[in-house]
Amino acid sequence: MSDRSVLELLATHPFTADLSEEQQAQLAACARIAHFEPDEYLLREGQPATAFYLIVSGLVSIEVFVPGHGPRPLQTVEGGSAVGWSWMLAPSRWEFDARALERTTAVVFDAERLRALFLEDCCLGLRLVQRLLFIITERLRAARLQLLDLYGPPRER
Amino acid sequence: MVKPAIATPAATNPFFPLPFLVISRRRETRDTVTLRLRPLSDVRLIAQPGQFMMLSVYGVGEVPISVSGLPRRPGELEHTIRAVGSVTRHLVALHPGDQIGVRGPFGTSWPLQLAHGQDVLLVAGGLGFAPLRSALLAILRERWRYRQVIVLYGARSPADLLYRRDLSRWLQRPDLVLRITVDHPDQYWRGQVGVVPNLIRQMAAFFEPANTVAMICGPEIMMRFTIRELQKHGIPDERIFLSLERNMQCAIGLCGHCQLGPFFLCKDGPVLPYSRLAPFSEIREF
Repeated sequence: MSDRSVLELLATHPFTADLSEEQQAQLAACARIAHFEPDEYLLREGQPATAFYLIVSGLVSIEVFVPGHGPRPLQTVEGGSAVGWSWMLAPSRWEFDARALERTTAVVFDAERLRALFLEDCCLGLRLVQRLLFIITERLRAARLQLLDLYGPPRER
Repeated sequence: MVKPAIATPAATNPFFPLPFLVISRRRETRDTVTLRLRPLSDVRLIAQPGQFMMLSVYGVGEVPISVSGLPRRPGELEHTIRAVGSVTRHLVALHPGDQIGVRGPFGTSWPLQLAHGQDVLLVAGGLGFAPLRSALLAILRERWRYRQVIVLYGARSPADLLYRRDLSRWLQRPDLVLRITVDHPDQYWRGQVGVVPNLIRQMAAFFEPANTVAMICGPEIMMRFTIRELQKHGIPDERIFLSLERNMQCAIGLCGHCQLGPFFLCKDGPVLPYSRLAPFSEIREF
């Protein structure tokens, strides 16, 4: 994994795989590869949201710290998905923590450069925002289902 | 494919419960146990994975419970039961040496033959893993007959996971892809968190939609969202099978308590392809 370039990873990641080579190159110019060890934080609640993460491999827990209880995982994200969209909207601060549960590899985009790229190439910007919206919708649906407590006690019999 | 109940001598009088002895009891979770039963008569009730039996506690009542295992000896039955009401509370409290009444088997079974030579995707939620476990055990017994075997299992919390010993063993198998997720992890959980339909997208590379047979069992809301996810991935409705739970009472399609549209789920179900159920999926309690 370590010897693969950002461009190679973008060419295979579901979020970017179907973009043109030129668009992938534009994105690669804003990105680097990062590795996270188990329990290492990708991002922390309240801190400036300066990056966008495409998870290549590993497992990341999106969680919130509850005083007296410690970190409470809300959802996990595997390779092939993305983490972090607070950088898109003011005040650009992370709303939750994201912690690696396994050794995790990610393509990390510089949010400022990504925002500039979106403004410069609105077509690319729109495509990527649509993809982010898809992920956000999926997460919202999952959160709503979790609220239902699906596996709670069924009817009496 | 889906077969009707196998005719046995006992099935000649389907209202007559036969005496069975509890020979083992394994606690799965705080409110759920797995009982192994042995017949006290010479009659062998042969249940296929997916079918259910009517278990009766003398003087208390009778409930439909799917088979959750394969017989270790001819005629034995295995059932996983959660204490949610009067009869099930009594069943969960049974111990080896106790007797109960059993009639059946009833209903349709999982389409194991249709799945021969195919990728198999089993999606279980909560206690819905019980009917699918018997299918999985049958598949693993003849593992060579199937291509990829993928099991996705969602539970409320780590403490609510059924069949922990099986899960540990299955996680080690190179010929089985098992993913487990919980909605509410405890501080020791290092696995996935989230609802089970999320796992399907992660597994997309492992199965070929046109050659996949999916079997789903769990709460109906979970099944609804799982079906949508399978459809998004191109699995045809006729290859998606559900096990539906209803208020089965007579278990032979006479009383109508389990009716859903034109189906008596005790007889036409509990396992049905979604292609047959789809017209009724808009019914609020589908």
